[in-house]
Amino acid sequence: MASRVVKVDREALAKAAGPFSVRAIMVGLRVTSRHFFRNLWGWIIGKPTIATVMYPEEDVVKPPAFRGMPVLVEMDNGKERCVACGLCEWACPVDCIHIVPDETEDAIERYPQLFDIDMGRCMYCGLCEEACPEEAIVMSDRVEIAAFSREGTLWHKDDLLVPVDRLARRLEYVRRSYER
Amino acid sequence: MSDASTGQKFENPVTVTIDGRAIVAEKGDMLLQVALDNGIEIPHYCYHPKLSIDGSCRMCQVKTGAPKLAIACNTPVVDGMEVDTQSEDVAKARRGVMELLLINHPLDCPICDQAGECYLQDYSYGYGREEARTASPRRKGLKRHPIGPRVVFDQERCILCRRCVRFTNEISKTDELAVFGAGDHSHIGTAPGAPLDNAYSVNTADICPVGALLSSDFHHKRRVWFLEETQSVCPSCSKGCNVKLGMFKNEIQRLVPRRNDDVNETWMCDHGRLNYAFAQDETRARDAVVRGEAANGSSPVVSTDDALKEASAKIRATIDAHGANAVGILGSGALTNEEQYHLAALARDAVGTSNLDVIVPTGEADGFLIQAEKVANARGAREMGVSPGESGKDVAGMLAAAAAGEIKLLYVIGSNALAEAVEADALQAAMDNVDTLIVQDTNVGPWADKATIVLPGQVWAEKDGTFTNHQGRVQRVRRAMSPTEGSYCDGGLFTRLGALLGGKDPAGARFDARATLAEISEKVSGYEGMSFERLGSLGVVLGEAAPASAPAETEEGSAPAEPA
Repeated sequence: MASRVVKVDREALAKAAGPFSVRAIMVGLRVTSRHFFRNLWGWIIGKPTIATVMYPEEDVVKPPAFRGMPVLVEMDNGKERCVACGLCEWACPVDCIHIVPDETEDAIERYPQLFDIDMGRCMYCGLCEEACPEEAIVMSDRVEIAAFSREGTLWHKDDLLVPVDRLARRLEYVRRSYER
Repeated sequence: MSDASTGQKFENPVTVTIDGRAIVAEKGDMLLQVALDNGIEIPHYCYHPKLSIDGSCRMCQVKTGAPKLAIACNTPVVDGMEVDTQSEDVAKARRGVMELLLINHPLDCPICDQAGECYLQDYSYGYGREEARTASPRRKGLKRHPIGPRVVFDQERCILCRRCVRFTNEISKTDELAVFGAGDHSHIGTAPGAPLDNAYSVNTADICPVGALLSSDFHHKRRVWFLEETQSVCPSCSKGCNVKLGMFKNEIQRLVPRRNDDVNETWMCDHGRLNYAFAQDETRARDAVVRGEAANGSSPVVSTDDALKEASAKIRATIDAHGANAVGILGSGALTNEEQYHLAALARDAVGTSNLDVIVPTGEADGFLIQAEKVANARGAREMGVSPGESGKDVAGMLAAAAAGEIKLLYVIGSNALAEAVEADALQAAMDNVDTLIVQDTNVGPWADKATIVLPGQVWAEKDGTFTNHQGRVQRVRRAMSPTEGSYCDGGLFTRLGALLGGKDPAGARFDARATLAEISEKVSGYEGMSFERLGSLGVVLGEAAPASAPAETEEGSAPAEPA
């Protein structure tokens, strides 16, 4: 593979910078000051030009292809779409999903009585999402999974449920990318 | 296995060519069975080797040289027949059959228990179309309808192969199921007021090639692809039906029958299939207990080693005070042959009592699979010498002697089975009058709660060993479950107790099923030549395992035989 090679003449650069690199320091300060005063002006007139996001008060809008932690889709009636078929459990390369199926009186007769994801193990590969025949588990934009204990990395069904409206972009992306 | 590979001669041998392979078969055998026996796959739904031929699914059509395709399940082989199972016509016919079967089949696989072991699913991958060509909605039918107390029926999934109908007609002979309606309206059903309720009803769920009939016990319990299956034997009666234990995370999820033409063909009874909860529920005896003055402070729970020491001290004291025949040992028919051998040795050599018998709860037999003796290894116990010695007493005799005060110490292996096997009054009278009651059992119960010493035993699924069924067929039992850490199997308890009574270190008295079977094969008549490898997966009848016979069948997953 051809690559672009830029030859840097270090000695010449060092000579040009002067004995204490005063010029280089001045160049750097000029850039910093320019940003500082521009942002200060923008803040005064109420039109901030700053690119920094004030996390965690603000959040970055992630693209739909972003793979955050897997979550369960919650239908409008408050129940999970998941029918506990076990395909994600089978597909998971790190065995982080544990499902206990059970029977219900609903029209869809099977549901996960227990649906645990061990986020300490999950590697965000998205194979569970690909395996799911019901579009019930999707990779969300959620990344905050830090916990103070090992128990804390174990996410249960109630923690994993996310209303379907909030996952609309990802669901559409999944349908498009897997040609469903 | 095919008859050809076992070297058996055919009465009327004919040669057929299937896909260019010449195969010798018995004249008149059905083509499908001949192909299956020789490892050639022909897809089929309605054909079952143990049921009559129906020919309703049309999936097994092959080209035989006749003008039209023929169904292999109902085409007898004739000499010089040339069969093509892979031609374009055959593939087209299979595609057509699959399309028709799938027109009304619901897209239920994610919630269907059959998924993973479903013929329709497998053949749909192999022979089906990717997309439906029909636009009409799928037919609606009964969903999860309790067609019987132990079977769930899903009408939408049924492909009308009639295997279940033939089963209730030919095997269980109860005729509950029938096809109702005609043409597109045909469906499987029961007559009003006559649910599918017979002693063998769950077999219909086994033979159902799709998820139309399912076991209620296993319904929505676990996906089949997560099950680890271990070949074993059913412990519920002396028939010894061959089964597979479906395990998940060290728990039995289900028992399914395994084919053994000499024992259970491909069937098993519902009682045996559903009788496994005792192996893992909260009634399991997990702790050794010593009650009375020797108890460990407030809690009676002690280590098994301490309980064994206490038991040996009690037995020794009874022998010293009243003689060896003041000890009565009631053995269990649930133990393996190897454990029975050590129990007999314990009673004969270490204790020296002639009061030894096996507890055999009895019930009804039905002439097919269900036997009267409700334990798996009563025959094996008797063969190993777990029976009254000279002037020794049997179970009833021991209880009477205990009630009369002649027997001072009763060592009961399987107290719950004993309560089933004998009259409650006789048992109560005996228990009221013995000085010491030692109970060794897998599950707690009323007598284990009253016993001076309780030794926790292990269930059959936790053991390696052999059972001898009522016909004298010795069959292999394999460990499927890991036992509680630190617990001993019943055989281990006997060897350690024997060592303690003989004044030896119990730590050296380990129980080794393989070595014990080798010893049994030398000392017990009928068991000559038996080893785990020789028994294989189907077992050997007593006296037929002579050492000079054919080389041992290699057993899958087992350690190689120890060098002689």
